[in-house]
Amino acid sequence: MYSNLSDHPHLTEVFTTAHGAVFQNDTDRCWQVNFAGKNARFDYRCLLKLRTAVYRIDIEQRLLDSTKSPDVEIIFICACDHCYVLSLAQIIALRDLLEGTFVMLELNQIIYDRLHRVPAYI
Amino acid sequence: MKDLVRVKTLISSDIEALLNKQIKMEAYSSSVYLSMASWCNRNGYDFSSNYFFKQAEEERQHQLKFFKYILDMGGNSVSPDVTNIKQEYNSFREVFEEALDQEINVTQSIKNIYARCLKEQDFVTIEFLNWFLKEQREEEYKARRALELFEVIGEEGTGRWQIDKHVGEIKYDSQA
Repeated sequence: MYSNLSDHPHLTEVFTTAHGAVFQNDTDRCWQVNFAGKNARFDYRCLLKLRTAVYRIDIEQRLLDSTKSPDVEIIFICACDHCYVLSLAQIIALRDLLEGTFVMLELNQIIYDRLHRVPAYI
Repeated sequence: MKDLVRVKTLISSDIEALLNKQIKMEAYSSSVYLSMASWCNRNGYDFSSNYFFKQAEEERQHQLKFFKYILDMGGNSVSPDVTNIKQEYNSFREVFEEALDQEINVTQSIKNIYARCLKEQDFVTIEFLNWFLKEQREEEYKARRALELFEVIGEEGTGRWQIDKHVGEIKYDSQA
């Protein structure tokens, strides 16, 4: 768990919720997803695959599902080392975390453009 | 914090999704044209059948252009599922009416991607799309001209035979 960022100066917090956090590692060009009790490392392609896998789950349909099937979803990402077994509440929390993360990454791109790439606009 | 996303890809995920949708549409168009080629061939309209075979091949090339562009820009191209292709038509004219509808749908879809690119200031993709906009001028012209033949020749007597013969000669050579 990366609760104390000063211990890990190469990590930058991207987005945090009450249930998890995502940090960016500039040195290794990857992201650390701290969620559901584990800290998993994702490169860009795998982070996109994780987002697609989570967004694809039909939460509304699962909420309305009255069958006795277990209330868990296995999120397995092809060609990635990690796998999540999550309850419905955790899926909602992970979706929140990823939505926020991608908004922040987009914001970072806008800020980076303005500060370093197209400074004439400032 | 470094901008790692931009390092990996030139296009945004929204543009990537729209381009993937377009890949699917081009693949669908190609299959529809192939089905039209089959119908025309079975019903004795050989020139029209050849015309649709060529159109199917063109749509396939368009699909590949989009596919390769996404990959070149660091995105993820998705090979599409193509289903629900209509195999039977009620008339010779209906084939061409649906061909024009198909081309109009493609043009509108490309315009929609263009509008999104303008909003995001994605001028690189806009430049890529310019080729398709010009191509759609030709595609719509040819489809519209084919339908026009039904009006000017008429379907009575040997009309359909004449129309079929002229469909094979439709060309778009505007320099505008």
